[in-house]
Amino acid sequence: MVAFATAALAAAGCTGVSTAGASTSKVINGIGAENEYANVLGQIGGQYVHVSSILNNPNTDPHTFESSPSVAAEVSAAELIVQNGVGYDTFMNKIESASPNSHRKVIVAQNVLGLPTNTPNPHLWYDPKTMPAVAAVMASDLSALQPGHASYFRSNLAKFNASLTPLHNAIAAFKAKYAGTTVATTEPVADYLLTAMGMNNLTPFRFQADIMNGVDPAPQDITLESGFFTKHQVKVFCYNQQVIDTLTTSIRETALKAGVPVVGVYETMPTPGYDFQTWMLAEVNAIKKAITTGASTQKL
Amino acid sequence: MHWVFEPGFFSSEPVHVALVIGGIAAVVSAVVGVFTVLRGQSFAGHALTDVSTAGGSGALLVGISPLLGFVGFGLLGAGAMDAIGVQRVRGRDLATGIVLGAATGLAALFLFLDTTSGATTGATQQILFGSIFTLDPSEIPIVVVFSIVAVGMIAALYRPLLLASTDTDLAAARGVPVRLVALGFMAALAVAVGLSALAIGAILSTALLIGPAATALRLTNRIGAALVAAVVIGVGVTWLGVLLSYDSYYWVSDQNAVPVSSLIVGLVFVAYLLSGLPAIRRLTGRRTVMVVTEAEEARLRGQRVSSRAAVRSDGDSPRSRRVL
Repeated sequence: MVAFATAALAAAGCTGVSTAGASTSKVINGIGAENEYANVLGQIGGQYVHVSSILNNPNTDPHTFESSPSVAAEVSAAELIVQNGVGYDTFMNKIESASPNSHRKVIVAQNVLGLPTNTPNPHLWYDPKTMPAVAAVMASDLSALQPGHASYFRSNLAKFNASLTPLHNAIAAFKAKYAGTTVATTEPVADYLLTAMGMNNLTPFRFQADIMNGVDPAPQDITLESGFFTKHQVKVFCYNQQVIDTLTTSIRETALKAGVPVVGVYETMPTPGYDFQTWMLAEVNAIKKAITTGASTQKL
Repeated sequence: MHWVFEPGFFSSEPVHVALVIGGIAAVVSAVVGVFTVLRGQSFAGHALTDVSTAGGSGALLVGISPLLGFVGFGLLGAGAMDAIGVQRVRGRDLATGIVLGAATGLAALFLFLDTTSGATTGATQQILFGSIFTLDPSEIPIVVVFSIVAVGMIAALYRPLLLASTDTDLAAARGVPVRLVALGFMAALAVAVGLSALAIGAILSTALLIGPAATALRLTNRIGAALVAAVVIGVGVTWLGVLLSYDSYYWVSDQNAVPVSSLIVGLVFVAYLLSGLPAIRRLTGRRTVMVVTEAEEARLRGQRVSSRAAVRSDGDSPRSRRVL
């Protein structure tokens, strides 16, 4: 019996179920395809939502995720689903259409923002404008599911938006002081944030897309990327901790050898210890620290 | 010159590493490949590439250089194939097939784990189809060591291997330890496949192993000349592939380069087709027979040649035997 309970706990840990709120009589089953959306859904839904996430391992590449029957079972039981779109979590659409449910609400960040499917950079949650917009839709969909708690969800939304103030202030302060600062990246993970901070990403998008898609970049682009560090053309290097290969590792070595600080960025919210707001703020602070003191923050 | 070598070709570090590692892999593959073709073990060579795939993907899983996985598993696979019975012609296909199947299954599992529980997103591409421009220069010393081991093995076994490859029965009758020679050759084959896998990918490494060797053996029937020709063809197609891939970056604007491995394999195929043209065959004066070596030939002259290798005199070379 003890063994069984332990196994059940372990299984719950693996699928990253993060219970938000106590088990009341009527709790909405919510899913965030990525754990950052799940985290925000938990903040808005509070005690009336039970949220789990599908992509929640910060040590693997979400782009290569493969679904499983247990994920399908979780999704089919969900009443509210939040996903990214732009081809990042297409597997969700397949599972949803395989288990139709007329009461289920699906929020797609891409649609909330009105972006086309061929948007080149799918890492929408790094754009400071994304989460407030998605959170507003979460609040209204939660209210539609449980109209009696509408004011509770509205006040949670207001709390969430207020909690983003330090992040937005940090971004604005950075932009005012360091706009135009050059940066190099391996992948377009944090590109929306870098743009919001007014930074100038010298790495061609073609190279970033090659690393993101797991294909070999051209030797010309590799030489170009290394040159950013050896010629000291960039002030900081944003390195995706979730896609590591011989090439990205050797580029990181080149950056460190040239004295260019490295900041680790993540596709999936690193847990435990972070919620969406503190995670984003930590990335901004790490970049600021790299530029002002030259110190690397390879892992958050 | 600009049309042949696009700007920066000679100063690009990824290109230097690709030329060095690709060139070394091509030399070893060509030398070992000639004997692979002579021995009719192309299928065994291909099976070893599948075993190497498992090794390379497993190496990424534990975080070591894929080359060590390629070669390590290749050696294990060669041993397994020998144990099941690759040395007997009858059991050879079966042994090869069984090892191939098991290894491919293992490779599928490792590649799945690499991409789903590790952060090595490009693993499948890198292991199966090669990633020569992304190789780390620190790989070069170990590549050199492996190539010396493989070529040294062939050199040490040269005479008994040649005899055992052209006529196993005769070699056995002469007291050549045929089984031991076969095992030594399989070890060299495993190393060659591993090096080639590093350069152009595990799945494609057979092309570099068999292609230049088969082409060379169509052009000449002297073993020494065939070895030289295979090396020249192998290194030639590899370097040309690297150059074309580099240049292809400029062919269409804002496009990526064409993968090196596909270009190299394409060139191997073209070279093989060209070697079959009557004009080229006339030029090289290839006869339909294999001359082993002058000394061997002299010794063979007095003997009746037995077995599968049927004696054929085709007029212009009455003293030689057909083995291909």
